[in-house]
Amino acid sequence: MRIPCEWLNEFVVLDIEPHDLASRLTMRGLEVEAIEEYKPTFNGVVIGEVVTVEPHPNAENLTVCMVRTGAETLPIVCGAKNVQKGHKVPLATVGAMLPGGFSIEKRGIRGVESLGMLCSERELGLSEDHSGIFILPADAKAGTRLEDMAGIRDVVLDINVPPNRGDCLSVYGIAREVGSIVNQRAKLPVFKLEPSGNEEIRGQASLAITNLDACPRYVLRMLRGVSMVPAPFWMRNRIQKCGMRPINAIVDVTNYVMLELGQPLHAFDYNALRDKRIEVRPAGEEMIFRTLDGEDRKLVAGDILICDGGGPVAIAGIMGGENSEITENTKDIAVESAFFNPYFIRQTARRLGIRSEASLRFEKGIDLDNVDFAGERAVFLMNAIAGGTVVRGKQEIYEKRERKNISVSVGKVIEILGTTVDQGTIVNALRSVDLHIVKEEESGFVVSVPNFRHDLDEYADIIEEVARIYGYDHIPATTPVTAVQLRRRENKDIFAKGIREYFTAAGFFELINFAFFSTRDVESFLIPPTDERSSCVGIMNPLSRDYEVMRTFISASVLKSIAYNVNRGTRNLKVFEVGKVFFLDPQGLPVEHPAVAFAMAGKEREYFWRDPCPEYDFFDAKGVVEGLAERFGFEVAFERSDEPFLNPGRSADILFDNNKIGWIGEIKDEVLNVYDIDQKVYGAELRFDRIITKGLVNPTYKPIPRYPQVTRDFAFSVGDRTAVQMIINRIREVSPLITSVGVFDMFKKDVKSIALRVVFQSFEETLTDETVNVLQGIIIQEVTGIQGVTLRT
Amino acid sequence: MNIDELRKRVDNELASLKDFEDVRRAKASLLGRKGVFSEFLDGLKLLEKDQRKTFGKEINLLKAATEGQLQETEAAFAEEEKLKAEALSWIDITMPGKVPVLGKLHPITQTFEEINGIFTSLGFSVAEGPDIELEYYNFEALNIAKDHPARDMQDTFYVKPGVVLRTHTSPVQIRVMEAQLPPVKVIAPGSVYRCDQDVSHTPMFHQVEGLMVDKRVRFSDLKGVLTIFIHEMFGSATPVRFRPSYFPFTEPSAEVDIGCVICRGKGCRVCKDTGWLEILGSGMVHPQVLRTVGYDPEQVSGFAFGMGVERIAMLKFGIDDIRQFYYNDIRFLSQF
Repeated sequence: MRIPCEWLNEFVVLDIEPHDLASRLTMRGLEVEAIEEYKPTFNGVVIGEVVTVEPHPNAENLTVCMVRTGAETLPIVCGAKNVQKGHKVPLATVGAMLPGGFSIEKRGIRGVESLGMLCSERELGLSEDHSGIFILPADAKAGTRLEDMAGIRDVVLDINVPPNRGDCLSVYGIAREVGSIVNQRAKLPVFKLEPSGNEEIRGQASLAITNLDACPRYVLRMLRGVSMVPAPFWMRNRIQKCGMRPINAIVDVTNYVMLELGQPLHAFDYNALRDKRIEVRPAGEEMIFRTLDGEDRKLVAGDILICDGGGPVAIAGIMGGENSEITENTKDIAVESAFFNPYFIRQTARRLGIRSEASLRFEKGIDLDNVDFAGERAVFLMNAIAGGTVVRGKQEIYEKRERKNISVSVGKVIEILGTTVDQGTIVNALRSVDLHIVKEEESGFVVSVPNFRHDLDEYADIIEEVARIYGYDHIPATTPVTAVQLRRRENKDIFAKGIREYFTAAGFFELINFAFFSTRDVESFLIPPTDERSSCVGIMNPLSRDYEVMRTFISASVLKSIAYNVNRGTRNLKVFEVGKVFFLDPQGLPVEHPAVAFAMAGKEREYFWRDPCPEYDFFDAKGVVEGLAERFGFEVAFERSDEPFLNPGRSADILFDNNKIGWIGEIKDEVLNVYDIDQKVYGAELRFDRIITKGLVNPTYKPIPRYPQVTRDFAFSVGDRTAVQMIINRIREVSPLITSVGVFDMFKKDVKSIALRVVFQSFEETLTDETVNVLQGIIIQEVTGIQGVTLRT
Repeated sequence: MNIDELRKRVDNELASLKDFEDVRRAKASLLGRKGVFSEFLDGLKLLEKDQRKTFGKEINLLKAATEGQLQETEAAFAEEEKLKAEALSWIDITMPGKVPVLGKLHPITQTFEEINGIFTSLGFSVAEGPDIELEYYNFEALNIAKDHPARDMQDTFYVKPGVVLRTHTSPVQIRVMEAQLPPVKVIAPGSVYRCDQDVSHTPMFHQVEGLMVDKRVRFSDLKGVLTIFIHEMFGSATPVRFRPSYFPFTEPSAEVDIGCVICRGKGCRVCKDTGWLEILGSGMVHPQVLRTVGYDPEQVSGFAFGMGVERIAMLKFGIDDIRQFYYNDIRFLSQF
């Protein structure tokens, strides 16, 4: 809400600097987001009184005005038609400077000397109006500087009104808060509406409401024979500063009073109302209705409408209809001032996608008790500006509402705020914002909530009012006294933390991607519809196809990040991501599982002068999984994988306890192509909920052996497709004294050869050569027993 | 007995020394047990007593001199050897070293860990909830009415009627309170989602929620705990201000601002010339929320708070574009 201080000053005396006021409003919960200063963009312009207007002797379209500026009377040649004798006008005198650097000089125009220029509003930078000379109010004082006129210098506070404070969506509403800050009471505008004719509204217009819940109060007033003039400068100026556009005096007055008092109003062209009746009722069925902005709106049953004898003339509280809007031919006006139930307005406004200044206020709730006052004020102003006759009386339906009473104990206020405040302070604070104290006792008090406050329902709300007015700054900062309550972290969280540590220690960068992806990602990974990863949790209202479902695996996101980097020149990548994957569950809420994916592309470093830097391959990636298993003390096995997105020869399923927990391998080129990656990527993904099913392994101490270990190397010729793991397993089974079996070489000349190093270790004694020789013999016997394996000599 | 012959022999031998091995051999052949000097000294036995004395003296003098010379030569060779070895081991120490390849945590994770660390040291435990949440937990239970604008499809991703992607971490408050009795002292870090994507919004982002409920938890305690947090996070000289605000699930509610970390309160573009930056939302748990989970607001009270992790990370690291977090550009990730 934009609040011009010049206007605010009408309700409270602002003897406070605007920046100071802004910070105090902010600390009241009315955050001032911007302070905008209005300054004249001209100088040397004075108010002049037109003494005479004569035709220019040598030019048909010009006049020569004699303009009095206090002591002097100056001849001014003028081209505008609207200047008359007696008008007060802005006169840019010789030497004056107008916006855009336009300076005024003494000039002869067709033989007549002109000592200045009369200005339009646009020439002064005050508005877009250039239809004629800016005619000033009759009481403007000739000879004074124009820039001293009210409204030209101003400060506008742009206030972020919280959604529960609809009462602050008006200058008066803000004035009430300001009054509480500066120890004043905001004054309502004073005026007296005098009916000028004998005509009574009864007989001219009738009123009915079919749903009092939707519309508990409606007031209709009338004005006849107005002239369609523009609103005066001061009114247009204020409306504009509040961010609205002036239209004509009648419409401007409805907006002006809304901005002033917070009550949205609507003016109908009385003669367009069929049967001279107004009825507030819900729409019975779907229909199309054209609003005054020229749009056809689809109304549905339940939308609250303002109808005349023939049908809808306005969507209640949201927008008027084209059929009854004020036009330049309008003579007679019917003014609506009403209270519409916020719920109905919100429903309809949201469905129609309309956020008008009126609906904004009705949605948050306006002051039921102020409805008629605002209507009266509008008719008064219209009459004052546009003339006409005020019709006597009003048509009104009003279902009065009891004020809410809330009782609060002082003890509770102190207990919740953590500071000692006495009842007197509390009561004064509440009274300063027009909350009435209806009962005061030793233990507490009862607050009667005025109808303009829709945010006060129970004691906590009153405590907030006290705290807000007392000042959050005055409440101390304390440390809580509370019992310790420990919650164990879930295993998956402990595991996730460990995984992050492992991967960063291993030189991987962590990625964080959005948890959604596209069904196209599932297709790009060639995952068949029967796979559970194809059954994604869909979003009903996705932002785009890219984010239409929740991801069922992380690697698609990882590939996107790789593509992003590769396409920007970073080709050596080790990345990982820990996150949730989501699956449909026919039983209830979708299920969420923790997973980790990693990928390697390129090489560890581009070059190093001393060493070769080989490209990553399958075994670099596999080692990462083996290391992870070792780090967390669980055993994994690898089996050939048939994941559709991996190269069959270079991929494996990762098993834990014979259950598949993930996959690892070289991503197929056809998948990489879709993601625009032109280099090999080795990746893996593991579901770690499947790893921690048996809990986390806590490290337990194993004694350090006191006896030396013995190593023996073996070389075998093996078949091309003999799995080395099988040989290793055979050797391990030979004796518990064998503590490790490592592959230290593999090469192929005519046949494939592998070289193994076996470590023997006893915890009881120093192993003798004889003992080891026996085991060595068994190892050779066992291994050469495998088809196609022979000992190399 | 020809001393001159001996001297000649010694001189020849010494003159031909080229390396350590020569020195060793010369030592043996001249000074050894079967060496030339021994031979000559043995020969003395055959001489007359006075001759023996004269010759003996001369031979011994010559022997001592020879020993001395051999030692000198040996030392010279050692020095030469050392220099040779040094020359061989010289390397260009200006050649580049092999820098370890480090991995790094995403700045959001780093920020999470810092926030979590501060609160756990203050006795808060960590709780989590699902990303796909019942509308009830995300809204109703938090006192956000059915027709509240936040529930608009324009703000919230719906999975199906009644099921949403959580728009904040606040539903964890409800889940925790439903599952246990007070005292409650938890934080809930996690991902949240909103239908918003532009220069300053991403459809997924991260929050940390906090909740403390017990007997006699006061607004002043909220101020105390959050002030400690901010001072730990941004430095103990950081100005903090609590100002009234509105959240449906807290009452009184407070927005917490810190003195602008960019301009130090002088006013700049980031703080929109106010000198203050909004850093988190907080408030006393609304009695209606307590009643909803079956707590008695007459018996217990509490405070809750929530903060955007990206926002805090941006301020801490000086990042000016939230979207950077999700490009995952290594040139970005490697900076933190």
